[in-house]
Amino acid sequence: MGPRRWTHRLFGREWWRPVEIRKDSRASLSLDYLTFKELTTSNDELLEIIADIERKLEGGTPFGMAYLRHRTVGCATHTYRMIICLDKLSSRRYQELHLVFTSMQKRLEAILDRTRLATAGTPRLVYSLTDIDGSVAAQVGGKSANAGELRNRVGLPVPDGFAVSTDAFAAFLAHQRLGDGLRDRQMNLEPGDRESLNDISQLAQQRIMSSDLPSQLAEAVLAGYDHLSRTLGYEPRVSMRSSAVGEDGEMSFAGQYTSVLNVDRAGLLDAYKAVVASLYSPQAVFYRSVHGIPDEDLPMGALCMTMVDAIASGVACSVDPNRPTAHTMLVGGAWGLGVGPVGGSVSPDTWVVSRTGTPTILTSRLGWKEVRIDPLADSGVAPVVVPPEERDRLCLSDAQVRELAGMLLKIESHYQCPQEIEWALDREGRFVLLQARPLRIAAEESESTVPDSEIDGHPLLLTGVAASRGCGSGVVYRFAEGDDLEAFPDGGVLVARNSSPQFVKIMERASAIVTDIGATTGHMASLAREFGVPAVLDTRIATKTLTEGLVVTVDANGGGVYSGRVERLLASSRAVERRSVLGTPIHAILREAADVIVPLTLTDPRSPRFRPGECRSFHDIARFIHEKAFEEMFRMSDRVTSVTQKATRLDERLPYLVYLIDIGGGLRRAQSPCVRLEDIRSEPMRALLKGMMHPDLRWWEPRPISISGFLAVATESMLAPGAGDGQRRLGDRSYAIVAEAYCNFSSRVGYHFGAVDAYCSELRSRNYVSFRFKGGAADDGRRARRCELIGEILKRLDFQIEWNGDLVNARLLKFPRDVTLRRLDQVGRLIVATRQLDMRLGPGSPIAWYADAFLDGNYLFEPSGSQAGSGPAPASREA
Amino acid sequence: MSSQVRVLLIDDEVVFLDSMSKVLRARGYHVGVARSGSEGLLELGAREYDVVVLDQRMPGMDGVTTLDQIRKTHPILPIIMLSGHAQMATAVEAMNHGAVDYLLKPAVVDKLSERIRTAVEKKTLLERLPR
Repeated sequence: MGPRRWTHRLFGREWWRPVEIRKDSRASLSLDYLTFKELTTSNDELLEIIADIERKLEGGTPFGMAYLRHRTVGCATHTYRMIICLDKLSSRRYQELHLVFTSMQKRLEAILDRTRLATAGTPRLVYSLTDIDGSVAAQVGGKSANAGELRNRVGLPVPDGFAVSTDAFAAFLAHQRLGDGLRDRQMNLEPGDRESLNDISQLAQQRIMSSDLPSQLAEAVLAGYDHLSRTLGYEPRVSMRSSAVGEDGEMSFAGQYTSVLNVDRAGLLDAYKAVVASLYSPQAVFYRSVHGIPDEDLPMGALCMTMVDAIASGVACSVDPNRPTAHTMLVGGAWGLGVGPVGGSVSPDTWVVSRTGTPTILTSRLGWKEVRIDPLADSGVAPVVVPPEERDRLCLSDAQVRELAGMLLKIESHYQCPQEIEWALDREGRFVLLQARPLRIAAEESESTVPDSEIDGHPLLLTGVAASRGCGSGVVYRFAEGDDLEAFPDGGVLVARNSSPQFVKIMERASAIVTDIGATTGHMASLAREFGVPAVLDTRIATKTLTEGLVVTVDANGGGVYSGRVERLLASSRAVERRSVLGTPIHAILREAADVIVPLTLTDPRSPRFRPGECRSFHDIARFIHEKAFEEMFRMSDRVTSVTQKATRLDERLPYLVYLIDIGGGLRRAQSPCVRLEDIRSEPMRALLKGMMHPDLRWWEPRPISISGFLAVATESMLAPGAGDGQRRLGDRSYAIVAEAYCNFSSRVGYHFGAVDAYCSELRSRNYVSFRFKGGAADDGRRARRCELIGEILKRLDFQIEWNGDLVNARLLKFPRDVTLRRLDQVGRLIVATRQLDMRLGPGSPIAWYADAFLDGNYLFEPSGSQAGSGPAPASREA
Repeated sequence: MSSQVRVLLIDDEVVFLDSMSKVLRARGYHVGVARSGSEGLLELGAREYDVVVLDQRMPGMDGVTTLDQIRKTHPILPIIMLSGHAQMATAVEAMNHGAVDYLLKPAVVDKLSERIRTAVEKKTLLERLPR
C-alpha cells in the first residue's frame, strides 16, 4: 500500500469539502423521524391497553361490551398504525405483517360479534301465550317462557296474554339504526364511572322512548292485543312486563327491569318501549356489569298479560332462602297488586309453612299494610290507604295459604329445583300465577339467633326480619325517596323506608341494609342475598331511630341492629366475599379476545422464529415492529450520502469530522455552515458530544500500542474484503441527525462502525438509547474482546446487552430524562475511549480491569499512578 | 400557512361540533365546522385548512367516502378519523384510505390535539418533498 493510499485511508478523500444534502432529503429524514415517533407512540398506547386488559382479566373489576369493543379496536388501531409506520420506514419490507394482522383481526371480530343479535330470516314478532313453553325461552325471554310453561305444561292458572319476541326487539334496534346509536352511547361509559353511567343511561332511555317502532312491529303488537280481546270478548287492561333472555334464570334480575301495569290499547306501544328502555336503567346496567353479562344487544322480550283484579298478591318461595335445611316454605302477601310487597313499599304478611307431608302453617306474622296498590280507572296504578280494620287482618286464610303452598310444591317438582313465584288472588278467590323463577338460596346457612337486648355494652336499637344473613357494621346513611345514591359512602349502612331494588347500585359498597318496610320475599331481599349484603327489613322504625352518621352493627342472623361496632358479632360472621367476574360470560369473551392480543411469544430477536409469520398476537406484532423500527432508524444516516444541501459541520475538537442534519429543532443556527456545541439544542446529541469531548479522554495524545496489536491491524487492513470501501476508512465523516429530543449519530470511523440512536424527553416511557458497535481493524479475537469490554461497561450502566462476535447491541429503555442524558454522556466517552482499544486487547487481557478503569475515569487505561503512555500490565506483557 | 393551525371538523352531531370547536379554539386553533361530508367538501373548496377531523359515521356521505373525495382535491391534507362506533374493520379501512389517525369518541382533547400537531408537522414536511 503506497503512502498516498495510506493517507486516504487515514483521513479520507476530500474530507475538507462540505457535505451536500438535497433539500427534499432533509424533509424525508424528518418524515421518517416523525413516523418513528408515531410508531413508538402507538407502541406505548398499545402496551397501556394490554396492561389494562390484563388487570381486567384478574376479574376484580366489572366491565361491559363497550369496554371490550373500545379496547380491542384501540389495540387493532395501534397495531395497524405500527404496521403502516414500519412500511414507510422500511419501504414495505415486511408485507407479511398485513396478512398476519388481518387473520388476527378476523378472529377478534368473530369473538366479539358472537353477542350480536342475528336478524336473518323472517322474524316472528308476537307469540300467543298458548303457544309458549320453556323451549322457546330464547325467542320470548325467561319470564314469558316460564309463564307459558306453567300454563301449558304444569297446568296452573296463568292470565291470558301474548309475548313480544326477541326478534321484535332486534327489529326495533335495527330500525333507524337505534341499536348502533345505543352502542355508540355506551362507548362513552368507563367501567366504574357511576356519574357517566347515570347520564348515559338517561340518554339511552330517552332515545328509545323517542324512537318510532317499525310499523310492522307496532301492527303485530296491536294485532296481538286485538286477538286477545276477541278471545276474551272485551278489551282488557294489560300489564307489559320485561322478559329478557336470562331473566328469571340463574340470575334473578329481580326488579331490575320495568313492568308497566294497567295499560289500555292506546298505551300499549309506549309501554313496550318503556320495557325496552329499562334495559338501560343505571341499576340494570350495573347489575349486568357485576354479573359479567355482555350488555350489548341483550335480547329483551316482553310479556303482555291481562290485568288481574287482585284482592291480594305476593311472592312465595318453595324453600326459606335463608334457612334451606329447615324444610319450610315462605309465603308473603299483601292487599292489592303485587307491586307493593314485591317492590318493597309494603311489608307483607308472612307465613312459614312446613314442606314435609301435607303443607302445615307453622307460623304467621302480620305485615305492615298501611297502603295497597290499586289500578286506576283510566290507566296506571296508585297507592290507596288501607282501612285500619284490614291492616290488622291477614290477607289470606289458612286454607288459601295451604292451597298456594300446594301449587308451589307442584311447580318445584316440575322444575326440579326450589322456586319463587309471584301470585295474585282475584275477587272470585282464585289464585293466578304471574311468574316463576329459580330461587337463589344462601350458599352457607348461618345460625338463626334471637337478638340480645345488649351485647358487650352495645344496646339493641331495633329489630326486624333477617332477610339476607350475615353481620355488618358501618356509618348510617339515610336514604329518602329522590336522594342521590351516588353520595353513599363505601362501607356504609343504608337505612331507608322502603326496600327498593334500585339499592342494587350500592350493594357492592354497603356493609348492611336496614329498612322500615320490606320482606324476605321481596326483590330487594333477593338482590341482597345475591350480593351477600346483610339485610334487616320490616323494622318499621329504622328511619326514625337510626340517625345519619351513627355507627351501628347490623346482625342479620338474629334480625337486630346494635349501637356501635360489636366486634364479637362481626368476628363470628363470615366476611362477605367480593364479587368477581371470573367465570362469567363477559369474562370468557375477554379471555378469548385477550388470547389474540396479550401473549408475548416473540421475545428473542436473534431467534430464527423472530419473523412476522411467527407472531401469535398483537403484542407479538408490536414487539417485532418495535425491534425492526430501531434497525431502520439505525440505517437512517445511510441515506445522507444522497443529499445536496450543505449539512452543518460541528466545529469542535473531536477525533471525527461530524456533520449535523437538523430535522426539527435540533440546532440553534440550522442554516450556518458550522456550529459549536452550544448551538446544539438537541439534548441527547449535546449529552453525547459532551461525553466525546471530555477533557480526560486526551485522545489527541499518542497511545501505547503493542507490536502484535499493530501488526494485527496492519495485516487485517490489507486482507479485509472491502478494505477499499470508503465508508470504512479512518478519517471519514460522521453524521448526526438531530431533533430537539432526538439524535441519530453514526461514526463509521476507522474500521469500526458505531451508532447511537436516542430519544430523551420528560416522558420517561418514550426515552431510550440504542447503541451499536461493530468491527475494528484488528483480528477477530481483538475485535471481539473490545466488543466484550464495551458490553461489560454498558451493562454496568444499566443497558441491556446482546453480543454476536464483534457486534454489540445495547439498549437503555424508559429511564428518566436526567439518567438518560448521563448515560449518553458515558456512551460518548466510551466511543472515544475505546476507539483503538482493539489493538491493545490481546488474549488474556482482563476485561473487568478495563471496565473498572473506564468507570473510574481512567480513559487512557493506565495502571494506577502511571503516566500517560505506559499501558496497563496485561497489554505490556503482551508487547 | 398562517401560524394558527386551521382545523376543519366534519360531524353530523351538532353537540360534538359545538363542544369540540370550543375546546380547540381555546387551545389556539382556528376551527371551521361542517355538518356533513358534502358541506365539508364545499368548505374545503372555499377555504384552506391544515387538518381535517372527520366523523366516520354520518348520514348521506359517510366518513370514508368523504375522505376519498377530499383526497382527490387535497392529496396531502391530513385527515384524522373519529368514530363513536368501535369496529376494527372501519378503523383499518379508514387508515387504508389514508386517514393519518383513527380515534374513538369520546375524543380525549389532549390526545386529539397531539395528533393534530403531528399531522400538521407531517403535512409541512410533505409539502417540501418533490411530487
